[in-house]
Order: sequence, then C-alpha cells, then structure tokens
Amino acid sequence: MIKRAIRRLSLRGLTIAVLALFLIATVATGISILAANRVTVARAVDRRIEAIADLVLERDAGEMRLSTPLLLARIATLSTQRDTGDIGLLLLGADGRRLGGNIAPRSTLPMGRSDLRQRDGIIGLSHGRALVRDAGEGRRLAVVAETEPFDSYRATRTRIYLTGFGSIILIVVGGMVAFSMLVGRRIADQRATVEAIIAGNIRHRVPVTGSADEFDRQAAAFNHMLDRIAELMDAMRSQCNDIAHDLRTPLSRLRGQLARLVEDARDPAQAERASAALAQCDALLAMFAALLRIAEIEAGHRQAGFASLDLSTLVRDTATMMIPVAEDAGHRLGVAVNATVTDFVGDRQLLTQALVNLIGNAIKYGGKTITVSLDASEEGVTLRVADNGHGIAAEDRARALRRFGRLDSAREAAGGHGLGLPLVEAIARLHRGRLELGDAAPGLAVSLILPGR
Amino acid sequence: MSLHLLLVEDDALYAGGLAADLIALGHRVEHVGDGRLALAAMDREQYDAVILDRMMPRLDGLSVVETLRARGITVPVVMLTALSMASDKVDGLEAGADDYVVKPVEPQELVARIQAVIRGRRWTVSETDTIRAGNIVVSPTSFRAWRGGQPITLANLELKLLAELARHAGEVLTRAMLIERVWGYDFEPETNIVDVYIRRLRVKLTENGGEDPIETVRGIGYSLKP
Repeated sequence: MIKRAIRRLSLRGLTIAVLALFLIATVATGISILAANRVTVARAVDRRIEAIADLVLERDAGEMRLSTPLLLARIATLSTQRDTGDIGLLLLGADGRRLGGNIAPRSTLPMGRSDLRQRDGIIGLSHGRALVRDAGEGRRLAVVAETEPFDSYRATRTRIYLTGFGSIILIVVGGMVAFSMLVGRRIADQRATVEAIIAGNIRHRVPVTGSADEFDRQAAAFNHMLDRIAELMDAMRSQCNDIAHDLRTPLSRLRGQLARLVEDARDPAQAERASAALAQCDALLAMFAALLRIAEIEAGHRQAGFASLDLSTLVRDTATMMIPVAEDAGHRLGVAVNATVTDFVGDRQLLTQALVNLIGNAIKYGGKTITVSLDASEEGVTLRVADNGHGIAAEDRARALRRFGRLDSAREAAGGHGLGLPLVEAIARLHRGRLELGDAAPGLAVSLILPGR
Repeated sequence: MSLHLLLVEDDALYAGGLAADLIALGHRVEHVGDGRLALAAMDREQYDAVILDRMMPRLDGLSVVETLRARGITVPVVMLTALSMASDKVDGLEAGADDYVVKPVEPQELVARIQAVIRGRRWTVSETDTIRAGNIVVSPTSFRAWRGGQPITLANLELKLLAELARHAGEVLTRAMLIERVWGYDFEPETNIVDVYIRRLRVKLTENGGEDPIETVRGIGYSLKP
C-alpha cells in the first residue's frame, strides 16, 4: 500500500510534502525547547523564592508573632548576603503601605505566584517570578527574582534560535529545491529527446554531463537504445529500397514487354489476353506502390516535414475538387466543414491523399450520396466520409482495415488492391489519430479522428 | 522533334526494352550500364537529355548528376528510379536532376517529361505574363481566360489546368505530370480526376462554338493545339 502511495506521488508533491513535514518538525522542536526552558527556569526560580520567603517568615519555637522590625531586619540581612543579593523583597502593611524592602513595584502584586514583566516597574528586571505571602496581621511579603541570567537574554536567545533553525531550514529547503530542479532538468532533457524523436528527428540524443551519475548512466542506456532503433530503421529503409529496386525494376521490365505484346498482337483475342495481363501487372504495381507508401509513412520520416496548415480549407478545397469526379460517376457529393481548424500541424500531401482516397473509395464502392464533413470533437477533429450504400457489417470492419483484407468479390471486381484503408489508417496514425469505420445507417461512415493541438 | 538521348540503366533487359520503345518513337538512344560509363559518354558526346537510373553499381545516379552539375554541365537529366519516397525525390532534385520519375513509366510519358524540361530551359517569359495558344489567351495572375476574344468563366483549378496546357501547347502532358503540376500532389490518386477536369474544360472552351482545342493522346495524356 505504501509502495502504491509512493508510486502515485509526483516529484513535486513529494518535495512539497517532505518540506512541509520538515518545517513542522523543526518549528515544533524549537517551540518545545523554548517552552521546556521557560517552564524549568520558572520552577527553579519559584522554588528559590519560596525558600527565601520561608526564611523571612520563619518562626522560632514559642514565638507568637513576627514583629515588623524583625521582618525588616531579616529582609535587610538577606539583601546584603552574596547568594540572595539579587532577590527583591518587599513588606507591605495591612493598609497596603510599603513598610520596607529593596524594591518598589509600580503595581500591586497579587497573592500567590505570578509572572513579572518589565512594565511592573522593578528596576533591572525584565522577566521574573513573584511570590506574595501573608506575613500575619494583614501584612504581606513579596519575594521577586529574575528568570533571566543576564540582560536582554530573550533577544539573544531568539537570535540564536533564528540563526540556528533558520540556517537548517534554509539548507534543507534549498537542497530539496536544488535536488528537485536537478532531477527535473535531467528528466526534461530526456523528454526533449523523446519529443524530438516523435517529431521525426531520430538523430537526437539525450545530453550526457560526464558526471557518471545515475542520470548519465540512464541517458547512456537510453541513447544506446536509440542508436539501436536508428540502426534498425536504417536497415528497414535500405531493405525497403532494395525491395523497391529489386522488385520494381523486373516488374517494370515485365510491364514493358506486356505493353509491346499488346501493340504487336495480330488477332483481337491475343490482344485482349495481353491487355488483361497488362492490367494485372498494373494492379500489382499499384499495390506495390501503396505498400511502399505505407512503409514510408510508418517509418515516420515524413514527420520531419510537418507544418502548420489550414485543415478546414484543405478539406473544403479537396472535397470540392472531388465533386465533379463524383458527379461524373453518377454520385452526389456534399461538403460540410463545421469546424474551423486553421493551425493543424501535419503533412498536407498525406492528409489530401487520405481524403481523396476515402472519397474515391466511396465513389467506387459506396451509395449514390456521399457526405464529407469536418467537425470538432472532444478528441480534436473528426473528418468523416459517409455514403448511403451497403456499408460494411460490424463484424467485417476490423478485417477491412487489415492489409489485403478485401471484403467481397464486388470490391475485388472494382480493382481495389486492399491497401486503401490501411494506407489512410497509417496516415491517421502518423498524425497521432485513428481511423474508425462506422454505420452511416445506411452505408459506411469512415472517420479520421485527429487530435487537436 | 527527334532527341539524342543517353539512357543510363544497369538492368540490361529493362534498358533494352525502354531503348527499343524510345527508338520506335523516333529518338536516338545510347545505352550505358553504370555511372562511370555515363560520365565518359558525356565527355565524348553531346546529348539532348539523360535518362538516369538511381541505384546502380560503381557510381550511383545521384553522384552522376552531382558530378555533372559540379562540372557545369547543364544537360537536362530525368532520373528514372525504383525509389518512390518523397524524400528520395527531394534528394534527386536537390542533387540537380530536372525531373524525377518512378518506374515503370510509359516511354511516351518519359519523352513528354524530357521535352517539358527542354522547353522549360528555353523559356524567357516570366510566369506573370499572359500565355497564348492558338486563339486561347490565359492570364494566370488575373485568373482570367479568353477564347477568340470571348471571356471564359473558369474555376480556379480549371484555369490552372488550361494555363499548364497552354504553356506547353503542342506538347503532350501526361496525367501524372498534370497531377504533379496542376494539383500539386505527390501521390497518384486512384480516380480519374484529370480526365474529369479535362472534360469540363473542353465543355467550357467550346461553349461558344469552335472546335475542341484539346487533343487526347490515347493512354498517355493531353495536348493543347498550338
């Protein structure tokens, strides 16, 4: 459970939590020390003044009353003795008059124990404790002592506390902030690399500081992985090139020979057979071109050419351009651009190709009415091409997106190579979107769902 | 116009077929099998254009065209290759090729592209001028067109298409060339976009009478009568 909680904590959250706990602990420690110090000192002083009060008010055996002169004499003696010279003593009469002693407080001290402040007007005393006792016959004896060992003790103590605890807090807070900034920066370096690579710059690497710390080791491992991926991509690319070269050249050769056969054919039957072979060869070449195009898109190189473009205008222009093509084939094409997306980042050519392909598919396989729409959605924008034809049954839709996953003989007869939708899907994925086949009730609705900014 | 062409292609069978086709179209063709032989051949002789394969043993096509351009040889070069990625095409054009064609290609298309490059070299007029072809006048900058003095109302794309045809009046422009230049696409749409737009253009050009100025070159493309 603790592990789960730790995993859920963010770096910033952890830093703030640790700092808060640390501050609370430090302040609590400071306050406790201060309080303990004050209480202990007050108790010691209380015991001392109590003992002195006992001395003053001590009765010898058989002595019935303590005369005022006797009390004053005792006070005078105590005032002159070295170990009690710092004690303030005061004897007040029943009428509250000062009978004698070595202090003259401004206010009347209450009976029993009490705190003393500077405002109580005892010279040389800023903080102290007082004890007032009944001395018989209405007289009262006040004993006063300082709780501070020297002048401006409190200010000094505050200064010591502030510098001590303050520097501890500063060091820890500064350390934590520096630590979290360091961690954050090193992680940001990695993130920048990942983002650069997503943007198509596979040559980007995480900077290594040379300190050989955990992050450097992590960066080195990460860079090593990227080197390996780049190698694999290069290998795939060169393999693609080899396939393109090794297959396209002989196919081109074959096509040339078939074309010559068509031209040189003596009788119509022969010419027809040669034409059929030529058409098959062309279909093969078209399939091959589509495969290579998908490979090109999936390699991600085209992301390097991403630019900000006006998607609304692109959709409107491309769909409008296709209206005569649809009409020529006996279809009606409606265009509804309901979202204004003027700063979409993507590949103009590929997005145009996706839309031209989807409309072309609808013309080839769909119903008589085709609708192209661009709408804002929660995820970003949805480019939808719908027709009112037979559609694709829900259970067959996944197959339609698979390469070569053609659905029926009707589609086969129309000369599709089964790569049209996978190509559009690859374009969607390159733009971090997806392709969805849905029911236009009736008909097929193909939605290209692209993320917003 | 008969052209003197150098075909640089390591696949002898393919080169043989293509050379035969080009000769059948009335051109003189010399074939060499790799890049070094190509450079040697160009030292010996002058060609109207070079058809250059990209992936070849010894010296590949990119290096050949780079070497040519570095030596200041400006002969038109059309790269004919099996590599179809957009970045491959950019590499080819940046190396100094004038056009980049993916295999296979109809010999007529190849010739049309070579002639377009050669014609392009001779242009002295800037793009902003009006273009004339027969009794057709196109002004791409003001988005207007006339036939026999009568204005023709054209949509943007139709005007671009007419301008491209007029600029190359008398030459064949293939569907692939038109898709590239008028539509600006780097892919081949699997619908008959070009044919549909040519048909619409024909209707608009002949609305006020007059014969059809656009010639269909069967299986290849279209040409505007000069």
